[in-house]
Amino acid sequence: MNLERVIFGFVIILALSFTYTFVMGDIDNPAHHNVWILTIAILVNLIATGLKLGDRSQVGALLLASSLVADVLLITARVVWIIAENETGSGPGTESMVNIVSLSGGALVASTVSIVILIGDTLISRR
Amino acid sequence: MAATSELDRVTMIVLRHIRRPIFVLIIVYAIGITGMALIPGKDADGNVEYMSLFHAFYFFTYTATTTGFGEIPNAFTDTQRLWTIFCLYMGVISWLYTISSIWRLVQNPHFLLALNEHQFANTVKRIEHPFFIICGFGDTGSLLARGLSENWFGAVVLDTDPERIKALALRDYHVKMPGLCADPAIPKHLVDAGVEMDNCKAIVVLTMDEEVNLQISVMARFLNPDLPILCRSTSARHSEHLSTLGKVTVINPFEIFAQLLSMSITAPRLHNLNSSLVRTRGIKLGEPLDVPTGEWILCGYGRMGRWLHKYFVKNGIRPVIIDPDADEVAGATKIIHSHANLNSLREAGIEHCAGIVAGTDHDHDNLSILMSVRALRPGAFTIMRQNTHENQIAFDAANAGLILQSSLTTARRILKHLISPQIQILIDYLRDQGEEVTKQVVDQLKVAIGENQPHLWRSNICASEASAVIEHLNSESTLTLGELIRNPYDLSASLSCMVLAIQRDSLRIMLPTDDETLQLGDEILFCGTEHSESMLLATMNNAYTLDYLISGIDPPRGYVFSWLRAYLVSV
Repeated sequence: MNLERVIFGFVIILALSFTYTFVMGDIDNPAHHNVWILTIAILVNLIATGLKLGDRSQVGALLLASSLVADVLLITARVVWIIAENETGSGPGTESMVNIVSLSGGALVASTVSIVILIGDTLISRR
Repeated sequence: MAATSELDRVTMIVLRHIRRPIFVLIIVYAIGITGMALIPGKDADGNVEYMSLFHAFYFFTYTATTTGFGEIPNAFTDTQRLWTIFCLYMGVISWLYTISSIWRLVQNPHFLLALNEHQFANTVKRIEHPFFIICGFGDTGSLLARGLSENWFGAVVLDTDPERIKALALRDYHVKMPGLCADPAIPKHLVDAGVEMDNCKAIVVLTMDEEVNLQISVMARFLNPDLPILCRSTSARHSEHLSTLGKVTVINPFEIFAQLLSMSITAPRLHNLNSSLVRTRGIKLGEPLDVPTGEWILCGYGRMGRWLHKYFVKNGIRPVIIDPDADEVAGATKIIHSHANLNSLREAGIEHCAGIVAGTDHDHDNLSILMSVRALRPGAFTIMRQNTHENQIAFDAANAGLILQSSLTTARRILKHLISPQIQILIDYLRDQGEEVTKQVVDQLKVAIGENQPHLWRSNICASEASAVIEHLNSESTLTLGELIRNPYDLSASLSCMVLAIQRDSLRIMLPTDDETLQLGDEILFCGTEHSESMLLATMNNAYTLDYLISGIDPPRGYVFSWLRAYLVSV
């Protein structure tokens, strides 16, 4: 067992789990989605991206790419939240909520791709 | 006049051929459309209305092609209908005329030939992988193509016989093998076949005509001064001429056959190794033929027989020769001027001979010699020469000690040369070293690959084939063969392969040990399983795997963990 692999796997899977936690619930119901969870998801995703930096292998490049996609989408969702909050004064309305959750849904896909690559690499790894 | 390419030619032929039909169509359309636009019609309320030019064109299009949507936009007047009849007939006739001219063009054999050549040249131009050109697709050529395909090499085939090219199209090769029915001695066809391309690795000239072979080789040499040429030649005069061209390997099927035959008698272990390397059917590595030495009888003393005899004498065997046309032969114990039959075989001393070579150039003669030998001396070792590939089944049933088929031995020799010229050099080296060294190599190989079929491949230590190795060597570290072929799943074991030879500039290292260090530009000849080839390829191109193989530790990959490791170590 390799401590690097443990931490690496932990952070990547945590990123996916948090994104999923945020996306869960009705897409247009603001009560089902928590801004704190979204923020934590962004944070964990950024940490995961940082851990992926520096790997020169092909798999490493692909992992980094999918992580960057998740970052971009989640941060866009957070920006939409801020703008919507600014307009209404309270939380985002139904329409903005749909945008935010679907953007996070995209990030969910990117995180899943990350995990699939990670598992595949581990399985065919030569040791 | 500037040289025109095949593409220009085809386009020119088509354009010239359909020029008149196009003119006819344009004129008929123009007349019909103008007429329709000028003739007054009536709308639903009975007012005079002219058809617009666009509508006239629309109407004419569906009328001339006999689609006939009806009278649009309004019902026609009788004048219009009259004109419509004219339009319809003229349109249909001009279309039929056009189609029939195109049809005639398509059926013209010269046009088809040009089109074929054009398509062939285009296909070859798009080949990205290394490929070889094979001129002459007879027995040897088709066996060679099969062998190349099994090693995932592409080839381009030229032959003058259309039937052979048709047969080529029906073969199920792993790789694409475009073929053209054309005379390879004409330089244009060689250019079409890609002789000037960078990824053309060699040209193999195998037609049955020595003169044509020489011509092709000369043309190829002029078109591409660096291209290796392998040329079939059996006459000394042509061979001499060929060798002046430079970078030419002369393929003499008779000599190759004789070498192999003498190898089977004097160096059975090496013969066994060689046969299993080229994957002869029914050969098991490490189980050599038990060929007796003693008195031998050689039936047939033609071109092939001369070479066989030469190699027999070289190995200290003086055979009895049976041939109706044999003249004086230096070094033969006895010559019997007769066809090989019961009487002549008895006269040759079949009762006490060790072995017999049925080497005439007729398969049925060879088979009947075998029958006679069975009757007279069942214990004699029989070596059969098979002339044509089609008789394979009969020879399989004959159950002789050794069957050698000239086209097959030639094709295998060429294939070995194309995979790596080092293979034959190694075989020659082992022959000089004697059977004991061969036995060691065979034992080592058996340990490495077990019961698997041996597979030969070559790797170059260059950036495109071994990026990780290059990176490692450039950082001024050393890499030994033993480290390179270590098994990533189990560091204490090696991959199921062994290194047979290394070519380093002009230096050749035969059977290197595991301590041999690699250098930039090395060309390594491996023998092992197909699986080990892909494993090795992964190792040679993945810096992490290579580092792990050398050091046995898996260092952190990302910046964060590397920094952390360095920090923890310093603390």
